[in-house]
Amino acid sequence: MVYFIFRRLGLAALSLWGVATIVFVMSRLIPGDIAGVAAGRFASAEQIEHVRETLGLNKPLVVQYWDFLVHAVHGDLGTSAYTHQSVVSGIGAVLPATIQLVVCGMIITILLAVPLGVLSAVNEGRGGDTAIRLILVLEGGVPVFWLAIMLRWIFGSILGWFPISSTNSLNGAPPHVTGFSVLDSLLFGDFSNVLDSVGHLLLPAIALSAPFIATLARNVRSNMMSALKSDYITFAVSKGVPPGRIVIHHGLRSALGSTLTIAGMQFGWMVSSAVLVEAVFSLPGVGSYMYHAIVNHDTFAVLGAVLIIGFVFIVTALIVDLVQMSIDPRVRNVQVGVA
Amino acid sequence: MKTEDKLPPGLPSTHPDRRGEVSFAYRFSTATSPLAVGRGLGGLARRLFGAKTFLINRIAFGLVAVLLLLALLGPVLAPYDPNAPNTNAALQAPGAVHWLGTDDVGRDVLSRILTGATQTLISAVLIVVFATLIGVIVASAAALAPRWADEVVMRVCDMFMSIPSLVLALGLAAALGPSLTSIIIAMVAALWPATARLTRGILRETMTSAYIESAQIVGMSRLRLMVRHAIPNSLDAIYVHASMEISGTIVMMSGLAFLGVGAPPPSADWGSMIAQGQDFITTAWWVSLFPGLAITLSAVAFGLAGDAVRSLADPSSRRS
Repeated sequence: MVYFIFRRLGLAALSLWGVATIVFVMSRLIPGDIAGVAAGRFASAEQIEHVRETLGLNKPLVVQYWDFLVHAVHGDLGTSAYTHQSVVSGIGAVLPATIQLVVCGMIITILLAVPLGVLSAVNEGRGGDTAIRLILVLEGGVPVFWLAIMLRWIFGSILGWFPISSTNSLNGAPPHVTGFSVLDSLLFGDFSNVLDSVGHLLLPAIALSAPFIATLARNVRSNMMSALKSDYITFAVSKGVPPGRIVIHHGLRSALGSTLTIAGMQFGWMVSSAVLVEAVFSLPGVGSYMYHAIVNHDTFAVLGAVLIIGFVFIVTALIVDLVQMSIDPRVRNVQVGVA
Repeated sequence: MKTEDKLPPGLPSTHPDRRGEVSFAYRFSTATSPLAVGRGLGGLARRLFGAKTFLINRIAFGLVAVLLLLALLGPVLAPYDPNAPNTNAALQAPGAVHWLGTDDVGRDVLSRILTGATQTLISAVLIVVFATLIGVIVASAAALAPRWADEVVMRVCDMFMSIPSLVLALGLAAALGPSLTSIIIAMVAALWPATARLTRGILRETMTSAYIESAQIVGMSRLRLMVRHAIPNSLDAIYVHASMEISGTIVMMSGLAFLGVGAPPPSADWGSMIAQGQDFITTAWWVSLFPGLAITLSAVAFGLAGDAVRSLADPSSRRS
């Protein structure tokens, strides 16, 4: 068990190194002169030369790679060419907003996908099943950014139920403590502030969760269907256990195992989809950061964001694996057996 | 194409199981591929639309056929020049003259969607084809290479897959500069590792099977074994994977274009059309709405077709 945990940690470290390497290769793919881009459009030849020196671009590639890794480990991903701030502190300031959005999206996804999947599996082949599957197929194909724009237009502009952008109303922003606007409001503000924060979060989170609901619900459905066909369910039925109890206590429990894995991977994908949603709702987050960096051709900031999102993705996968191992004895035994 | 003389002995070619089943994959491998293309286009059409295929699958294949046709004919069908601005007709609501309205510089939305179809759908298919080819080539090379090289290649795939593909493609496309080519390169780079992993897994299984061992005993070289036997045997799974990738590729491509790393402005791309329309959505909703519907329709059609291909390849998945 301990051996497995260390092995898994080693694997995660290896992945992090891999991501850093890919990002380094990408940074050298930029067509043209990196120093010229970093120095700005109107820099003189001397200034460019100076930038080349400070960035270490005159050294051999292997040395540059090593420097990049050392800097990355020390939390230095370079300076944004646009804001002239350190990339790490720039992203660090907005990361909580993204995590908050993704957690909110994840809650919506799980709250909708699990019941839909279970309902669909229990009614397999009947009208309800077909209807749910049809809805899932349609909803799974909708691009998140378009859905975000449409939701903002319908519920924000036409109906006026929700605010159309940002995390808080102008006078309602809580003091910046954790960076999680809902948590900050809870800590400091009155109840209306909390409602304000949640209201600002709801539409983006719904838009973000749409494609993930489809995937997760399908997974729950197929797991649930095979669980309901297994012998222990037949045994429970013949013993006279009430159907509701069978579905929830017996079926769902075994069905949720791989669902947890998928949900964990979805967390990482959601962080990347958040790029699109944040750009629509102009929420300050890693996504907006990346979007503005792209618009301003701020390559180091873009690559820094890629690295950090990769980092979040790897850490989430690690946590999910460890959680799953601690709650599901089957996984634990298999993993230890393999290791 | 006369294929009868190449059939292995056993079932006579008139046997019910054999009618319309003779395929290029069959001639190479010992297993009949359910996905195998029958005799020419007629056989393919029978397989996709025939009475044995589920109605929903027939609808899916039909939709995909229509979409691909539109993609090929898009620029011809477009009633107006998709890139010609006409400031006299800016932001006109959908009506008899402009069926889907016009955008802020008076370009016809329908014409732009039709030309955008060519760009989006054809590039999505190309991306998946390239990514699949690279994946299969890498996987077979890894299978032939010594064990440590195989291990290294697979770890590299893992590393690629530990960055969410959207972010990886976004970073790459941003680094390469905004153009359609850089989107295609970036997406291929983001998608090939999944195919490589899948193919490598199947090849690993196939290489231990009895018919491969017999061929080895007969003295067939490893390369020939791979090309003539192992790869054809994994084609079904590769086709299924590829067909299921297209839908996500369409959505992801339009997302990249939406963020501005796609083809530069005048070009009609569904994603950038949505981006362009979002600023005046309250007054002219049609500029963003219709391209989004086009993306959704294509994604759903290709998604259903992917499911259909899977159910053709693996009848046991039909009920799930």
